[in-house]
Amino acid sequence: MTDVSVAVKPRGAATQPARGGHRSTQRSRREARAAYLFLAPWFAGLLVITVGPIFASLYLSFTDYSLLEEAKWVGFDNYITMFTEDPRFLSSLKVTTIYVVVSVPLQLAFALALALVLDRGLRGLSIYRSIFYLPSLLGGSVAIAILWRKVFGSDGLVNAVLAIFGIQGPGWVGDPDTALGTLILLHVWTFGAPMIIFLAGLRQIPSSYYEAAAVDGAGIWRQFRSITMPLLTPIIFFNLVLEIIKSFQSFTQAFIVSSGKGGPADSTLFYTLYLYLKGFKSYDMGYAAAMAWVLLLIIAGLTAVNFLASKYWVFYGDTK
Amino acid sequence: MSSGKKMWSAALLATAVLAVTAACGSGSGGGGDSAGGKTVLRFSYWGSDARQKMTEEVIKKFEAKNPTIDVQGEFSDFASYYETLSTKVAGSDAPDVITLEIRGLREYADRGTLADLASKVNTADIDAKVLGTGIIDGKQFAIPTGVNAFSLVVNPSLIQSSKAELPDDTKWTWDDYVALASKVSSGSGGKVTGTQLSWNPAYLQIYAAQKGEPFYNGNKLGLSPQTIKDWWAIMQSLIKDKGAPDAAKSSEIGATSIDQSLLATNTGAMGMWWSNQLGAVTKASGQQLDLLRMPKVQGATSSGMFLQPAMFYTASSKSEHAAEAAKFIDYMINDAEAGSIILSDRGLPASSKVLAAVKDKLPDADKKTLEFIDKVKSELADPPAAPPKGASAMEDILTRYSEEVMFGRMTPDDAAQKFITEANASIAG
Repeated sequence: MTDVSVAVKPRGAATQPARGGHRSTQRSRREARAAYLFLAPWFAGLLVITVGPIFASLYLSFTDYSLLEEAKWVGFDNYITMFTEDPRFLSSLKVTTIYVVVSVPLQLAFALALALVLDRGLRGLSIYRSIFYLPSLLGGSVAIAILWRKVFGSDGLVNAVLAIFGIQGPGWVGDPDTALGTLILLHVWTFGAPMIIFLAGLRQIPSSYYEAAAVDGAGIWRQFRSITMPLLTPIIFFNLVLEIIKSFQSFTQAFIVSSGKGGPADSTLFYTLYLYLKGFKSYDMGYAAAMAWVLLLIIAGLTAVNFLASKYWVFYGDTK
Repeated sequence: MSSGKKMWSAALLATAVLAVTAACGSGSGGGGDSAGGKTVLRFSYWGSDARQKMTEEVIKKFEAKNPTIDVQGEFSDFASYYETLSTKVAGSDAPDVITLEIRGLREYADRGTLADLASKVNTADIDAKVLGTGIIDGKQFAIPTGVNAFSLVVNPSLIQSSKAELPDDTKWTWDDYVALASKVSSGSGGKVTGTQLSWNPAYLQIYAAQKGEPFYNGNKLGLSPQTIKDWWAIMQSLIKDKGAPDAAKSSEIGATSIDQSLLATNTGAMGMWWSNQLGAVTKASGQQLDLLRMPKVQGATSSGMFLQPAMFYTASSKSEHAAEAAKFIDYMINDAEAGSIILSDRGLPASSKVLAAVKDKLPDADKKTLEFIDKVKSELADPPAAPPKGASAMEDILTRYSEEVMFGRMTPDDAAQKFITEANASIAG
């Protein structure tokens, strides 16, 4: 303790003796003002392009707004309808929840597994890393979603491979029982971003821990469980929060794979897709705005729960 | 000190530049009264690249005749057309001339977006009944560009090579249709599928008309649950007898564009589309395709088939250039010069004069369509009025419940009830 306070003192002392204090504060105030002025354009943009629309959408969520007419105030009607009279809303919520609950853990597990393999120090690591990261760059794109249709179509690649083994595969994207599965697979496939983050996290773990453990006779599995996992929990937590938020907002994949309708039979009707259909196809922008706010609340709630739960499983090496 | 000053002036300059650019942005977006003294007229439409090229050509001709008007085409694909259009209207930035289709007509007309075009555009050469589809509450909000009929497209050579025979379409029934489809599938050894399913509301509308029921009855559905169930039964037996692909494959094909349809890829012998799409399917398939009358319900007195405008031209009620807008629409509809470029791209020309003038220039497929429509004209029902507001969602709603039935996830009884409830809710508002 004393060491630290001693170390701090000289630094504090160094700023003290600036005797011309008056001039320097005036100068820094002027600099601050200039900084604010420089920031003004950005701040104006934030107000006009982000904050303004956010509050406008909050207002619209309490209105009946067709885009073509003036908005009419309807109070909480949109919110009430959503939970009482709109089975499609509930089914879109269900579809999205299944999507998130299945695809996020799978994707993270996959990303972690690959990160562990890559961390072993493969030759040509950077090439592999780039290759594995590639799907993440492409995954959200329209082209890949179209490709997905082809791969999982009834005459697609997957069925062609199955046919070699004499299996007649179903039309994966056309069948309501499997369509969501193909989208989950597409999401898992875009494991690149969390993988890179895991890889960085793995590099942070001092190799001396493993050496010590090896000396004590710990096998690979034991090392993974007792060293890697605990030290990696903050990274896992970070990825988890990020991916949950991201997947709740997934749109492009379902939009393209289902031709913008959430079909077959609403099996890929993601929350945001339904929101879009309501706003732009059914001319019900007020309802769509209300849905956006409900989604915000859901995501905020889940993230809060995540943070609370993190106390019990995330290990920050410096806190204990 | 001098560095402080510099910083200040830089910051001020940056802010000023931003203010100026912002002002520029709003200036050009605000309708733009003049571009070099010309009146700027904005014209929105959707379609393919080919249509855009063709339309730009027509616009050039129009501008040559009207040097004081500068027409700016605003073009997008159909999928995103209404999104862009509705946001423009919401932002008080509506184009002066707007292309709409019949499903979207009331969405816009009922909400005060459109101007009455009666006596502003010459409609003397348009069939009164067809023209009537653009009248809403007594006002001529929309002028039809051209007409189509929803019909059955067939590939005769695939039918023959599958050891089946072309039907006599003046008296074939839905049972004949199902039997023919499954015969094609079995006769070709599975290489060719009889037909593909369609969930187009026009198909159901034709079927219901044969049973004497209208699709819409004011702001409600005029269909009975029994009719919907009987209609689904046709598709169920098609799937069962292998006349059409199974439910999963069908929904997969249904989600793709017409170029990837069974007929277009020569893996199917029949399909149902609007007659103006004959050209597109023919081109994709590279084979000879024909139009047939839709099959009938046993003992039906009406064919149920009808002409429907392919598109409408409308003008914004907020336009500051109403006269120019009407002039442009008039040119697009009535001028043979425009017609000779557009041909049948927006349906067979609604104006009989234009149609007569361009008849010989039509591509072969469209000549066939014209011949077909002439042939069946006397059997056609009156063109139906524009469907109620909210009807643009009808195809999606119908497709969804139809798929639920085809996949066996809902009973036809249950689905018919739910379809009627949801459809009514959608068009009531």
